[in-house]
Amino acid sequence: MTEPVIRTRGLTKWYGRNRGIEGLDLEVGPGEIVGYLGPNGAGKTTTIRLLLDLIRPSRGSAELFGLDVRRHGADLRRRVGYLPGGLRLYESLSGRELLDYFGGLRGRRDRLLEARLAKRLDLDLTREIRSLSHGTKQKVGLVAALAAAPDLLILDEPTTGLDPLVQIELFELLTEVRGEGRTVFLSSHILPEVERACDRVAFIREGRLVAMEAIAAFKARAVRRVELQFAEPVPAGAFAGLPGVRDVAQDGTTLTCSVTGPVDAVVKEAARHTVVAVTSAEPSLEDLFLAQYREAADAA
Amino acid sequence: MLRSVFGKSVHDLWRPLVAWTLFTAAWPAFYIALYPSIGAVEEMQQLLDAMPPAIRSIFVSEGLDIGSPEGYLNMELFAFVLPLLFMAWTIPVAAGATAGEEERGTLDMLLALPIRRWRVVAGKGAFMVVGTVVLGAGALAGLALGAAAVSVPLDMGKVAAGVVLAGLLALAFGGLALLIGALSGRRMAAIAIPFALSVAAFFVNTLGALVDWLDPWRPVSPFYHYIAGDPLSRGLDPGSALVLVAGAVVAGALAAVAFERRDLAA
Repeated sequence: MTEPVIRTRGLTKWYGRNRGIEGLDLEVGPGEIVGYLGPNGAGKTTTIRLLLDLIRPSRGSAELFGLDVRRHGADLRRRVGYLPGGLRLYESLSGRELLDYFGGLRGRRDRLLEARLAKRLDLDLTREIRSLSHGTKQKVGLVAALAAAPDLLILDEPTTGLDPLVQIELFELLTEVRGEGRTVFLSSHILPEVERACDRVAFIREGRLVAMEAIAAFKARAVRRVELQFAEPVPAGAFAGLPGVRDVAQDGTTLTCSVTGPVDAVVKEAARHTVVAVTSAEPSLEDLFLAQYREAADAA
Repeated sequence: MLRSVFGKSVHDLWRPLVAWTLFTAAWPAFYIALYPSIGAVEEMQQLLDAMPPAIRSIFVSEGLDIGSPEGYLNMELFAFVLPLLFMAWTIPVAAGATAGEEERGTLDMLLALPIRRWRVVAGKGAFMVVGTVVLGAGALAGLALGAAAVSVPLDMGKVAAGVVLAGLLALAFGGLALLIGALSGRRMAAIAIPFALSVAAFFVNTLGALVDWLDPWRPVSPFYHYIAGDPLSRGLDPGSALVLVAGAVVAGALAAVAFERRDLAA
């Protein structure tokens, strides 16, 4: 198996008596986009700042590319691009000057890539950062993170302040990054914003990892609510016996049920009658996420 | 210019440095230019001699007479004003070095780059030192020009010794500001504590010359190593200079170590 890009073992951080994260075991492989999800205060930023060696663990360890971040921090960060949450930039510099500075400290520079990224995000690099809106500053931060063409991108709440069109462009860019075999680890507290871009999602809650799973697998477990409207009343019993079907209810010509997995059997059974309308509500990942939380809370 | 931490400091602070250098040159120039117009030097000396020693020692280090231009400068400029002019540069610059960025929240992105933390401290510390050299050169130039303008003979070698020691004194307190900023991440603390300590150190040295029980404590005060050797009449004492350099270097090194080890505020 290839070496994981990110691996934490029992990673724990307490701020005095306040919990940051507790016993976090996280593994992210090369060439994937992983969404790191959880409500505000769950410990997402703490995890990310530990990975970058900005803060130090109370217990446990974190590795990037198989090397301990405490011992090889500066060398490892050569391969990492980072966008902090609550981004603050040097207000008196222009976007270009900021890239000059960071490029100088990195010791490498790709002006062509910088210009291309700025163009795609519709960003004017000549303007002083002070004069930019919140969302535009976020774009400057994103260009700075992406311009180093890092093997690993760590983005803390990258969609903050971006309008939907720019978000789409960003995910396009991240998908291209993945296409080059590079890795993206991004945090968010708004799942629908990131779910279409992620291969896997990790859910964190109160400092603990509650789930880490492929989006596809997560969705496969999804329970859909299906509503069928017929020309005339149909026997409900025929539906109740179908695989994956639960909670069948009938109200006149309308029949509703919950379906886990494929809805194929339900559709075929319905086709024996005259169907007026079909409504199928796909639960948002958000709902699944909340359900998972509830399970974790119940188990605890 | 924007290629290194040092270069970024130059980019951010060259304007204040130029402005402060002009001020630091103009003040001493003004003082020395006034010297010939103080007709009553004799009377002033008598007045000083008549003062209780405790009061006098605040103005003059022992044994110097103000009849000479060097003596006059010692009292009017070197006793406290020149160190203050230099510390007004070193302490805020050092305090802002890491703590300023930490408070503004720009440190996360900087330290997520492939750069060791101690190099940030070193780059910013180096800029403080270079700025102090510029200020010192400005003060010397101001004194030389002022003296030449009014034809006052000045022993520039001894004056330079005083300026060098004043610069080193300011760097020692600047090193302390760097250390407190690196330890606490709080800029105001890193400004206030060194300034307060510099005032205390000033009094320990000046009053220690008169108060018996305080006398053994004088070497603790950086001011003792700065001025007690009377650089304006005796020139540069390498031992005193070394103590001040050591103070600045040790404080700076501790700042780098402290900064390496700390959790940075988000």
